[in-house]
Amino acid sequence: MALTKACKISDLKPGEAIRLNLKPPIAVYRLDEGFYATADTCSHAEASLAAGDIDLEECTVECPYHGSLFEVKTGRVLSMPAVKPVKTYPVKIIDDEVFVETEA
Amino acid sequence: MKIDGIEVDGGAANGAATQPTDGYLCDAPDVLTTQPADAISPSSASASIDVSQLINLDDGYLSARIYNDQAIYDLELERIFSRSWLFLCHESQLPKPGDFFATYMAEDPILVVRQRDGSIAAFMNQCRHRGMRLCRADLGNAKVFMCSYHGWTYDIGGKLISVPHEEDGYHRALNKESWSTLKVPRVENYKGLIFGNWDPNALPFTEYLGDMAWYMEAFFDRTDAGTEVIGGLHKWVLKCNWKFAAEQFASDMYHAEVSHSSAMMALMPDGLELTADSFGREGTQFSDANGHGTGFFTAPDKGPLKAMLGEAIEYIRGPERDQAIRRLGEVRAKRIFGGHMNVFPTFSFLPGTFTMRVWHPRGPGEIEVWAWALVEKDMTPEQKEAIRIGVMRTFSPSGMLEQDDGENWLEIQRVLRGYMARRNTLNVQMGLGHERNDDPRFPGKVNHVYAETAARGFYRRWAELMSQPRW
Repeated sequence: MALTKACKISDLKPGEAIRLNLKPPIAVYRLDEGFYATADTCSHAEASLAAGDIDLEECTVECPYHGSLFEVKTGRVLSMPAVKPVKTYPVKIIDDEVFVETEA
Repeated sequence: MKIDGIEVDGGAANGAATQPTDGYLCDAPDVLTTQPADAISPSSASASIDVSQLINLDDGYLSARIYNDQAIYDLELERIFSRSWLFLCHESQLPKPGDFFATYMAEDPILVVRQRDGSIAAFMNQCRHRGMRLCRADLGNAKVFMCSYHGWTYDIGGKLISVPHEEDGYHRALNKESWSTLKVPRVENYKGLIFGNWDPNALPFTEYLGDMAWYMEAFFDRTDAGTEVIGGLHKWVLKCNWKFAAEQFASDMYHAEVSHSSAMMALMPDGLELTADSFGREGTQFSDANGHGTGFFTAPDKGPLKAMLGEAIEYIRGPERDQAIRRLGEVRAKRIFGGHMNVFPTFSFLPGTFTMRVWHPRGPGEIEVWAWALVEKDMTPEQKEAIRIGVMRTFSPSGMLEQDDGENWLEIQRVLRGYMARRNTLNVQMGLGHERNDDPRFPGKVNHVYAETAARGFYRRWAELMSQPRW
């Protein structure tokens, strides 16, 4: 397990996300309930989910290229064209900073 | 041989295909072929039409056939519209990066998009995969453009950035860099007007304007703040040839007192006795070698113009006039009233009325009119509203004067369904031989405002382009 620093809590407002340039890249989202992370690359095609539209009520992100819909908290896919989920990553808050837990 | 169990001609039968031992029909390429260097295939338009047989401008006549003939129209798409500067939109329509406007260059769908660096790009609104219309919205703001057929996705500059099933369908062999949308190679911003040209070697826009630039400045460069369009745009279809509209806006003040007689009377202020200065009489028409034309009165009238402009007349006779005198001099600021103009081939504007439009051709017998209302940015909201209402009342789908013009063009086109009517010869002789180029006030080739000098110039340029396969 490795902790990677994503950002400060104040860097993201609810409804915003950033992309971490890891291999593979990871998207970190802020919902009303807190911070979550998924694989950044859509499971359908090359596209960054961090650039997608976040629905705070439904807790979903819509892929900016082809419109696939994912549940941010679970990575579950809710709408085609994607049919595979995206991987999720645990998030830890330490003081005022946000960290993502990865295997490497 | 068999592919997926189906018998196919050729292959093993002519001995060309050897059966690879690994079960594949042939060796897979690591990289798929990139597009040919010239993505444009040769034209199929007929080159056998001799327009010199259809038109004689030295004597002032032309064949009605030029308005109703599919082969001539096909040649126009190739020789006029694929190498002339065509109006795309006004820059005020695209304030932010990602703002786009879907328009046409003749029949070709085009996306005009504000880029992140502030520049404006234009490219074909067509996916490079199966040719589908890429963006199906009229206008808006986009992060990317995704084709709704298979999902090929392009950035706001038209570059292909994402292809579904790139891994398992294309085996990572697709060279995305070489399959961007077809870019309009030349785009220019002239006083806020965005023009595009398919010809990479086209003259720069201001050179293309020639002496017309002097007149264009009088219409589009009067104030420090510059112009903007207001209230979206109107689009409507007219069943007529595009040249009727373009020629009239280049050259025809003549029709106004007859065609627009009842509308003019309706617009006259109440109780106004008709006198010599109720409607303009003295004026100038200008014709440019590149086919552009304009005409205008050189003294103000007391009639319809005032009624059309309402509140805005105070601005136009006050602050706007003062700025224009400083920027353009007395003649251009004070001697041009209520005019018409056309930049060859299809961009028209009525200075003084403030309708701006493009005539998109749709076959020999149909056009789409796309029309905007243009105002000076530093007018008050009330003045802009007065212009908006004036444009709606006069030149819009519901406009009084628009009905008159449309009716004329549609009726001509209906008449041209006749076999003999199409073979008839029509007259364009007004003012022939009275052109001059030594007017101390107005540059270039000019004539009296009641002339067809600019019509002859329009058709002369048309014939020149139509008879030249290459420059």
